Amino acid sequence: MPNAIVWLHGDSLSSVDPALLALPEAPAIFVFDEPFLQQARLSFKRLFFLYESALEALEGRNGFVYRGEVVETIRTFCLTHAADEIHVTTSVAPRFNRYVQQLRRQFKVVVYQPQPLVHWRGAAPRRFSAFWRRVETEALRPTGSGPQAYTEQSS
Amino acid sequence: MMRLQTDQPTRAERAAYLAEALAGLYEGPVELAPTPGGRRAALRRLRDFDPRDYARTRNDVVRRGVSLLSPYLRHGILGLAEVRDFLVTRFAPGPGLAKFVNELAWRAFWQLVYAEKGEAVHQDLEPAKVSLRRERGVPADVEQAATGLVCLDTALRELYTDGYMHNHARMWVAAYLQHWRGIDWRDGAALFYRHLLDGDPASNSLSWQWIASTFSHKPYFFNRENVERFSGGAYCATCPLAREGCPFDASYEELAVRLFAE
Repeated sequence: MPNAIVWLHGDSLSSVDPALLALPEAPAIFVFDEPFLQQARLSFKRLFFLYESALEALEGRNGFVYRGEVVETIRTFCLTHAADEIHVTTSVAPRFNRYVQQLRRQFKVVVYQPQPLVHWRGAAPRRFSAFWRRVETEALRPTGSGPQAYTEQSS
Repeated sequence: MMRLQTDQPTRAERAAYLAEALAGLYEGPVELAPTPGGRRAALRRLRDFDPRDYARTRNDVVRRGVSLLSPYLRHGILGLAEVRDFLVTRFAPGPGLAKFVNELAWRAFWQLVYAEKGEAVHQDLEPAKVSLRRERGVPADVEQAATGLVCLDTALRELYTDGYMHNHARMWVAAYLQHWRGIDWRDGAALFYRHLLDGDPASNSLSWQWIASTFSHKPYFFNRENVERFSGGAYCATCPLAREGCPFDASYEELAVRLFAE
């Protein structure tokens, strides 16, 4: 298997992150996004919550926390670990998708999908009420007994 | 880029270290929220949550029959599906459980809209259904939780100190800032986003747009009766403006004229 790293980010910051679970031996990284945070002006409370969550997620494994420009930091991290694959759980955030696109120029990026609350195909309706009418039955139906089950999507 | 240490033994030492390591990347005092990060804390909250009374108590800002899971859901520390599965397999069907799952679905909906609209969620998605003044900048008294209105200042103080605000209080504060003070929703959303541990680009901006009527068919606003009802009268009992000067003390019809008349 090629060398791979796991990238944890603020939309999937748990010890049972699907990418983390899939590669228990791989080095893992969380990056405080310096250019984003410089303009977002978040309170310290928020950053500490992320830090505490990242530390717990990375407990007991080869895990690292950085501050820096995300793509450049991950690129350097991959080179340091002689890795050519990045495993990461998806996010709908446009910033995440931009970073993945940039990383794909140099690395294979394997993206995992967390289990959704409901399966939805097509465009978002204009109002929640229309969404709820279509998903209510599925939303209330359990698929397991709780923490936890995830599936891999694709690369 | 800089590698951060990960081996401080206590929470206080972690905080002191992080304050220096992330210098320049945050604004305001080095203070911690009482909500701990991590999945262990998230699972404790999940196990402690009983949704059976949720439909009846969730809107009460003082009694709070809420789960307090939102920071963990927002950051993927807990998944929507696993939370649903955990609760639905432990509690019998009922209005409380159904309402809570409905709230989980709100998050799924916001994410769906975000996936489709991207950064456009931070601008008006629809024309406002009423006239909005849209002045820019959060007033100093709001930044300082010093509006003189106990219902709002209590909520704002909790936002600034704990990184949390009850959902119903969020609706009051957002409506007050927009409809009474005439502030552009984008500035109110930015204020919440800076402080809320569950601050999410989609949920936050779209909820502010829901109040504004740029992502709903009418603006949300409230009156004093609503505040009294959903706080058990606790705020008005100590509010210096309760006897005279409460800007919310009117019927919805009167307020609609006062707030939205051209």
